[in-house]
Amino acid sequence: MRNSGAVLILTFIAKLISQAAGVSRPGKPRLTSCRSPEKETFTCWWEPGGDGGLPTTYALYYHLENSETVYECPDYRTAGENSCFFNKNDTSLWVNYNITVVATNALGKNISDPVEVDVVYIVQPNTPENVTAVVVRDEQGPFVRVSWEKPRTADTRSGWITLLYQLRVKQEKDKEWEVYDAGMQKYYNVFSLHPDKEYMVQVRCKPDHGFWSEWTQTTYVKMPDYIPRERSLWIMITIFSVFIILILTWTLNVKRNSVKLCLLPPVPGPKIKGFEKQLLKSGKSEEVFNTLVIQGFPPTTDYDELLVEYLEVYDNEEQELVLDGKDLSEDCMKSKSPSDSDSGRGSCDSRTLLLEKCMEGREGSGSGSGSDQHQYSQHGETSWASTESSESQGPEPGSPESADGRSKTWPVVFSSPQPQTHHHYQVGAAKPAYHSVPEILNHSSPHTTPSNYHQLHHQDIPQQEGRFSKPACRHSQSYNQFNLDGVGTPAPGVPPSPSLEYVEVQRVNPENMLLLWPLSDPNRELEGLDCAGEDYSKVKEVTNNILLLQRDTSHQCVDYYSQDLDNQADQCTTQQPPHPCKPAVHQSNSRMPHEGMRVMGNGYVDSTVLMPSY
Amino acid sequence: MTQGSRLYFAVAVLMCAFVTINGVVLNDLLERASQLSDKLHSLSTSLTNDLDSHFPPVGRAMMPRPSMCHTSSLQIPNDKDQALKVPEDELLSLARSLLLAWSDPLALLSSEASSLAHPEHNTINSKTKELQDNINSLEAGLEHVFNKMGSTSDNLSSLPFYINSLGQDKTSQLVNFHFLLSCFRRDSHKIDSFLKVLRCRAAKKRPEMC
Repeated sequence: MRNSGAVLILTFIAKLISQAAGVSRPGKPRLTSCRSPEKETFTCWWEPGGDGGLPTTYALYYHLENSETVYECPDYRTAGENSCFFNKNDTSLWVNYNITVVATNALGKNISDPVEVDVVYIVQPNTPENVTAVVVRDEQGPFVRVSWEKPRTADTRSGWITLLYQLRVKQEKDKEWEVYDAGMQKYYNVFSLHPDKEYMVQVRCKPDHGFWSEWTQTTYVKMPDYIPRERSLWIMITIFSVFIILILTWTLNVKRNSVKLCLLPPVPGPKIKGFEKQLLKSGKSEEVFNTLVIQGFPPTTDYDELLVEYLEVYDNEEQELVLDGKDLSEDCMKSKSPSDSDSGRGSCDSRTLLLEKCMEGREGSGSGSGSDQHQYSQHGETSWASTESSESQGPEPGSPESADGRSKTWPVVFSSPQPQTHHHYQVGAAKPAYHSVPEILNHSSPHTTPSNYHQLHHQDIPQQEGRFSKPACRHSQSYNQFNLDGVGTPAPGVPPSPSLEYVEVQRVNPENMLLLWPLSDPNRELEGLDCAGEDYSKVKEVTNNILLLQRDTSHQCVDYYSQDLDNQADQCTTQQPPHPCKPAVHQSNSRMPHEGMRVMGNGYVDSTVLMPSY
Repeated sequence: MTQGSRLYFAVAVLMCAFVTINGVVLNDLLERASQLSDKLHSLSTSLTNDLDSHFPPVGRAMMPRPSMCHTSSLQIPNDKDQALKVPEDELLSLARSLLLAWSDPLALLSSEASSLAHPEHNTINSKTKELQDNINSLEAGLEHVFNKMGSTSDNLSSLPFYINSLGQDKTSQLVNFHFLLSCFRRDSHKIDSFLKVLRCRAAKKRPEMC
């Protein structure tokens, strides 16, 4: 006890003395960092804690994670003071090193805190080497090409270490550096440097997983004095102007209509209401004229009424003529009508008669359709002029179907008794008469019929015998439906019936077509009819509601079919023997074409009715 | 040239072309694979940093030793000289073995990440998921590389992982998580290094990159 107490007191006194003398054991050293420049070796540095006034020695000890064997640092010199260098043989990768530093002096030692180190995590390469910056002259302007080499120690060739480079540039006076990443390549082009200035360049590198190296020493480069071509400005101007032009063009395009309107104001063209230019272009005058037809015009009342109304009164003169006509006509003679009931009717008068004739004529004429042919009934009597439609469409033209419906009964003198086919028509109240049936311009407008028809004028001819006009029988022309439309030839409105003689209404077909029989049949030749004598059953023209009949003494039953005025006029003149449209006495005045029909004398012709169907 | 010599010439040209093309393809494959492995290691490093930001000091003391990683039994080259001597197919199989060894552990990490007692467990969770995806891609890629290399034997080492839970209490869970992650970080570095060595070996025609 006495000894231990003495020892303690002595130690305490020694400490006091040493403290008074300023010496102590060394301070605790501290490992500052460990680094491996190439993943093959590494170095650790420590800092001493204080030597305590006495010379102190430091020793580094380490052991690997999976062993307890403690090794001491193999090399204290290579890396300098207070360092420990681990060479290749002592370096193991992917292994934790537990490193401590021990400071020892005369009074004691001190151990640092242990540090765990894995070499692969402490890689920091050396700086790149041989940094060069060269000015390269280019057509777009000079630039600086910086190139360098890898740090000598790094083995990138085998792929053991992978380095990424970085450089920075600035002028001396600048505060901030311009940093550029160069990736794994060992050169870099720096653009947009100002002319006539000096620049500083530095480069550094880093492994894929590690620390950045230090910056290299500064490399200086001087830019030459050059005039920068402001090409970019011109490019911008060009693009801008192109853009503007495009916009203008597009705007103009969008507004081209209004621009056109402004520059070229439209000239108003003629316009007919309801009339289409296309029709003119198509060339079919018939259609054109058809478009001009006003439906419902002229206003018509009951047909019968009209007919009756317009019944013309005959006079003796006429009668005579009629009789003459009758005599002349053989057909009339031939035709025998069984039904001779009507007092006013002559033999030729009978409807049946007419029908027969008409039929024959029709058949004889062959096709009455499809051509502008009129079939002429053989009945020379006053016949209803039936206009044949030149074309055979549908039912035979002139086939009076709707006769029943209509019974536009012409006070028909000549009603073809035959109830069949085309020319049967009822003659209702029949007073036969001359009727001038002018043209019947048919339109197919079923229910506005009356307007479409030229009204036939019937005249009540009390005496049948005298009724028949000369030409009637002879030139009985049966016209099929005088259908302008169907004709296909431009029928300008209502041409006056093409120099028809007496026409006989065959019937009125359902389409409101008046089927007329011309009294003279041009095809008579076949039957040997002899068209001779004067014939007043021809209607020259119908204008302004005036039916112009013409006198025709031609022997030949001319087959004509013209539905326009001109044609008719020609027809008139070309007939032989030329009695060019000599108005008969009992006929309306044909001298005044284009004027209305006039009631002449006995009023064979009536002006009122003729309504052009346009 | 005779018919036979012509035939030989054609065959030789074709073979050269084939090898060249194959080489090019292999190079590209390895390039892609090393990119993936690089990403893998970067992710693991950032995860480790996130974890370290709020790690209890006591945990460090509790940390198991790295030699306790389940992949420590695998014999790998320890330094550069050794590594450069290893033939390519062996290097590849090492890389693949390591990669395969981490499929299950990463799944475990992924499942435990969400319930980690750490302030940044969300970030950790998402990064762990990303790790998993990358590993799958790299596995597939390395299989392609293996096929392209045409090695006869496929000697993959089996490194089983038997742990199904990271721990019952929060601290041990955290510590074990950290430990596993550190093992993975190291192994991912190994894979990356090996693949980059392989890449440079295959890219003899592109010295500027290696």
